Amino acid sequence: MIDNNTAGLISLDLTGRIDSNNAAAVEQTLMAAVTGRPDAPVLLDAEKLEYISSAGLRVLLHLKKTNKDLRIINVCPEVYEILEMTGFTEMMQIEKAYRVVSVEGCEEIGRGANGTVYRIDQDNVVKVYNNADALSEIQHEREVARLALILGIPTAISYDVVRVGDSYGSVFEMLNARSFSKIIETEPDKLDWCVKEYVGMLKRIHSTLVPEGKLPDLKRTVLSWAEFMKAYLPEDAGEKLLTLVQNVPHDDHMIHGDYHTKNLQLQGDEVLLIDMDTLAVGHPVFELASMYNAFIGFSELNHEIILKFQGFDFETASEFWHKVLVAYLGTEDPDRLREVEDKARIIGYTRLIRRSIRRGGQESEEGRAEIEHWKSELLGLLDKYDTLLFTMNEMDIEAVNDNLPRVLDFVDRNLEKAECSPRAKMQIALAVEEIFINIASYAYTPGKGHATVRVEVSEEPVVVTITFIDNGKPYDPVAKDDPDITLSSDERPVGGLGIFLAKKTMDDVSYEYKDGQNILRLKKNL
Amino acid sequence: MLTINKKTENQKLILKLEGRLDTVTSPDLENELSGSLDGITELLIDFEKLEYISSAGLRVLLSAQKVMNKQGVMKVTNVNETVMEIFEVTGFSDILTIE
Repeated sequence: MIDNNTAGLISLDLTGRIDSNNAAAVEQTLMAAVTGRPDAPVLLDAEKLEYISSAGLRVLLHLKKTNKDLRIINVCPEVYEILEMTGFTEMMQIEKAYRVVSVEGCEEIGRGANGTVYRIDQDNVVKVYNNADALSEIQHEREVARLALILGIPTAISYDVVRVGDSYGSVFEMLNARSFSKIIETEPDKLDWCVKEYVGMLKRIHSTLVPEGKLPDLKRTVLSWAEFMKAYLPEDAGEKLLTLVQNVPHDDHMIHGDYHTKNLQLQGDEVLLIDMDTLAVGHPVFELASMYNAFIGFSELNHEIILKFQGFDFETASEFWHKVLVAYLGTEDPDRLREVEDKARIIGYTRLIRRSIRRGGQESEEGRAEIEHWKSELLGLLDKYDTLLFTMNEMDIEAVNDNLPRVLDFVDRNLEKAECSPRAKMQIALAVEEIFINIASYAYTPGKGHATVRVEVSEEPVVVTITFIDNGKPYDPVAKDDPDITLSSDERPVGGLGIFLAKKTMDDVSYEYKDGQNILRLKKNL
Repeated sequence: MLTINKKTENQKLILKLEGRLDTVTSPDLENELSGSLDGITELLIDFEKLEYISSAGLRVLLSAQKVMNKQGVMKVTNVNETVMEIFEVTGFSDILTIE
């Protein structure tokens, strides 16, 4: 045992074996090192400790009594097991020895705000954190990834924490996975497929309700950006920006926070979300803002940036972003697409300007040009809009009975702009209930699955069309015979009225099976 | 939401319903009925404050009617226009006693 006492912290090495033969001697050395300094923090480096017996454990307990702030690091797996079994890992701060991994010459497959992801061999990737003291970040990311997985979002969970140079890394198993950026870059004909999968995952994230307090609220972060911007915008514009953000209602649905194509991976035929450290809750406009930046915003003036970051060019990125917006919003109406994109840009530019200023962007000519460009766009947009909210006319939801109120609420919100009589509203609610419950009860039994609900309102004539899509067993409810409603109460079977009611209250109910999906359409003339 | 107000007078059971009788709430009515119909000869269901009914609610009503066919009478009272329309479309206006 070597004593290398440094200022403030008492740092000691534990070596070899500590058992009944030498425990007394070890205790003497330790106690001598801390004598007269009962409150000083103690760090024990156990890198060379091979074994510890109960006599040795008692020494640690005595030390813990005199010096409460006791930390043992670099504990090998065998010793860690003993400490864990005896409950010592809960009594004092004990850190495992980390495997050392080198990323020299490894392919970089992703880069995010907090770290870089490398493939270290065919089956494994490592995310190396920028922050040298990243253990708490790693802990956070593991926790949120586990939460996401429990809530039904497919993601990779790290199984091992390693040392990479002076930093820490998390190792993930990723068998032959490829990022969507790579697919778009190397197989341009798969762009539309990528859009479909990317948007499917996005909707899944945004339809996931997060139990209160489990994830940070992104609105708070965005509010702090808006506060920051006040010093750089004309007073009224600064105030307006802040008000717009304040008026975005609290939303308990999940957002990824850094949803670009490097963070979506295809492993076999499974699509996996990675880089979960930015997971939060909030309104989808915040997510669209960071997506806009990833594909367009960052590279608006310098188109080379996207090529360097994603591997595909600015034109491809623009096409991808546009198609994503069309699929996400379920509309091709250019005015609506523009509106939602503009609202995302308001937050997007706010973030870009703040980021650039904080990184000294005002000191270079290029940086100043970018800031000026983003700022003039932002001022124009702030003039144009009085809210950041937009309605979604499509929702993706788990098809279970308990979700019925959310579906009805969603349909109701979409009918607000149509002038709908209370009677028609009730009839639509009834038909929606019957169809949704039908899907929830039969489409995926005995398993579970999702349904998409889309509401469209056409003008002149005013027709409400509600489309239900599920990936369950093919079933045409329209083909079913109508029940005999002339029978007496004793003769009539209980049930079987749901679809009949939908048919009777709607002007048209139609069904088709296409691409493995049941598509059911309700139409109501208003 | 569905609120069920229950009153028993000897062999007469009165249920006042308030709110919605849909997929989510009709199990509540079903449970209420399944434990209460023993020995009942007159079942009165007051619909005055019922705003909405779907096929799940109709199921429960028909099941109750089948039970009451054997042991007495069942009446549905104070049905509003919207709910009445559903009864008519489904033929329930002919098989229930509506007052």
